[in-house]
Amino acid sequence: MTSPAEDVDVAPARPQPRRGVSFRDAGPPIALVVIFGVFAALSSDFRTISNVQNIMDTAAVLAVVACGITFVLMMGSIDLSAPGIMGASAIAVALMVANNRNDNDLGLIGVLVAVLLAAALGCLSGLALVLLKVPSFMTTLGVSAVGLGVATLMFAGVQPNISDAMLEGWAVERFLGFAYLTWIAAGCVLLGYLVQRYSRLGRYAFAIGGAEEVLSLSGVKVAPYKVAVFTLAGAFYGLAGVMVTSQLGAGLVQAGKGYDFAAITAAVVGGTLLTGGRGGVLHSVVGVLLVTVLVNGLVQVGVSPYWQGGVQGLIVVAAVAAAVLPQRRRNQVTK
Amino acid sequence: MTRITRPAVALVSISLAALAFTACSEESNAGDNNNGSSASGACDPSDVKLVGQVRNESNPYEASWLDGGDEFAESVGLTQERLTYDGDSTRQQEQISQLLAGDTECLVMNILPNGDSDTPPIVEGAEEAGAFLVTQWNKPADMNVTDYDQWLSHITYNGVESGKQIGDALAEAIGGSGGIVALQGILDTGAAKDRFAGLEESLAANPDVKLLDDQTANFSRAEALDVTKTLLTKHGDELKGIWAANDDMALGALEALQQAGRDDVAVVGIDAVPDALTAIQDGTMTATVSSDGPWQGGIGLAIGYCVATGELSVDDIADEDRAWYAEQFLIQEDNVADFLTPATDEADFDCDNVFSRSQGAIS
Repeated sequence: MTSPAEDVDVAPARPQPRRGVSFRDAGPPIALVVIFGVFAALSSDFRTISNVQNIMDTAAVLAVVACGITFVLMMGSIDLSAPGIMGASAIAVALMVANNRNDNDLGLIGVLVAVLLAAALGCLSGLALVLLKVPSFMTTLGVSAVGLGVATLMFAGVQPNISDAMLEGWAVERFLGFAYLTWIAAGCVLLGYLVQRYSRLGRYAFAIGGAEEVLSLSGVKVAPYKVAVFTLAGAFYGLAGVMVTSQLGAGLVQAGKGYDFAAITAAVVGGTLLTGGRGGVLHSVVGVLLVTVLVNGLVQVGVSPYWQGGVQGLIVVAAVAAAVLPQRRRNQVTK
Repeated sequence: MTRITRPAVALVSISLAALAFTACSEESNAGDNNNGSSASGACDPSDVKLVGQVRNESNPYEASWLDGGDEFAESVGLTQERLTYDGDSTRQQEQISQLLAGDTECLVMNILPNGDSDTPPIVEGAEEAGAFLVTQWNKPADMNVTDYDQWLSHITYNGVESGKQIGDALAEAIGGSGGIVALQGILDTGAAKDRFAGLEESLAANPDVKLLDDQTANFSRAEALDVTKTLLTKHGDELKGIWAANDDMALGALEALQQAGRDDVAVVGIDAVPDALTAIQDGTMTATVSSDGPWQGGIGLAIGYCVATGELSVDDIADEDRAWYAEQFLIQEDNVADFLTPATDEADFDCDNVFSRSQGAIS
């Protein structure tokens, strides 16, 4: 099957296979607008400003996780380490800022150390992948267990509650109507987009997912880039763990529970392929918003909780099917 | 050549070692089974082996359960083996079969089965090996404890009652009238169904309290935060109270209220986790219900210990004490101080007293 020409930009500065907005990329944003429109028409509570703020605030954590996971998916790998890494960073940060368990009061440094710990765990996934040649599915599952183990050890039976004014403020204080956490997430998305679009790391991640053999045959050592991508993803999960801690006011071992599949779902709904080489941070953000709007809308419209899970799944499957119809053949395999 | 064989050799030797190990324990097991399979034991108190098994220690309630077990063990001069299986049914069964493959003559197990369907294999295993078993919370409704000799007792709590207790406390806190929302647990669990049925009973008794919405937050603090935020935008000032099927969700709801700047909403939960108790003491939360985790950890071991040492005979345990509802406690601001430091009372574990908290047989 030959792919149709998609010349959107006539004078590309450098070879960039998927630039601009092609017809195929328009599916998920259209689905987002349609679903938003339907809910807004059905429920007067849904179309209020405060609810839109609420949706953005709710989407913040998932957006940061999705930023990280997108790079891994772009490479054609899979990452299930988010729950463990988020749990470890959540407990770590809760123990390092002002809390009820010890006398630490490191503030921003504590946040930084937690993110570094998470990056180290991500790095571990990457190293296991390239050095031991274990499939990413297994290494990341293992690292998730390691993260949960580290978190459980630090947890030691007593939940650390934070009293740090700055970290608690992130969830409560607002700037231009949105919580600080939402702005942090927006910053992460921007950073992720810049890395993906302009850095060698981002472009190679695409290339590895598209055709790893071609890349190594052209003399590029792919292993360091793979490790770097997992490290970057780990850092994003770490920040997400910190954000959950800020929201809940406490460090929970289960801080990241369910975020791995939620983020993968969001990325795929947004048009990132599990086979790699397609999609990107902005795609995933559309997916995150779509999923969040769906969850919020079903509550606002008043769908019974017994139906919500099923209805949600159906709409997600329908949205993905509609979005990837033109590329069915590429979607069938996962590495 | 050597590069390939080294890991292979390691693997082989590890499996050999494992084989030898299991073979040993199986041998000793076979020896024990011959002389010890009577329902009422005559074990020397110092020979009794106490085991407590729960899902994980990262959950304050289950950690306090094991601590209670330790306290009982200490009171009789023994130690408790603390087992956790991370909510993984397969791992729970593996741990149990490992235990039962060892010395089972004076083995006492106080087990929290992961789900209803995990109980039968544990019971059958204990029955065959002659270990003394007490289970809590989960068992299939059609499985009768009285059909077994080694399954001494099953203890659980009446979820309808606790759901109603906090429902009534919430109604009182909002002055008997106004709108409330319910945060349900995992919808297909018995605990979630019973507790919600209790709320419905409470609503019937308080006709001016209106249930505006019921949603599930799957017993999770993080999900409850998101759902509560959404419900706050949906119902606004109409919302006077939040009924949560456990404390984790209640605490998530409290965070959502704080972030929305609302301090006029009453919140109730169940489980009496430490943070909820602190919140009740601070006045931000209205009520919770305690099943008394430390007592649960101790009582199962105590019943088993009493039977194993011959102080209590299975035949003497009344049928209504073989599967029973234990007493639970409504905690509000006036009595929260009594529950802030979890502790056990040795008198509860006295062989004459082990069934003193019964609220009747499970119907």
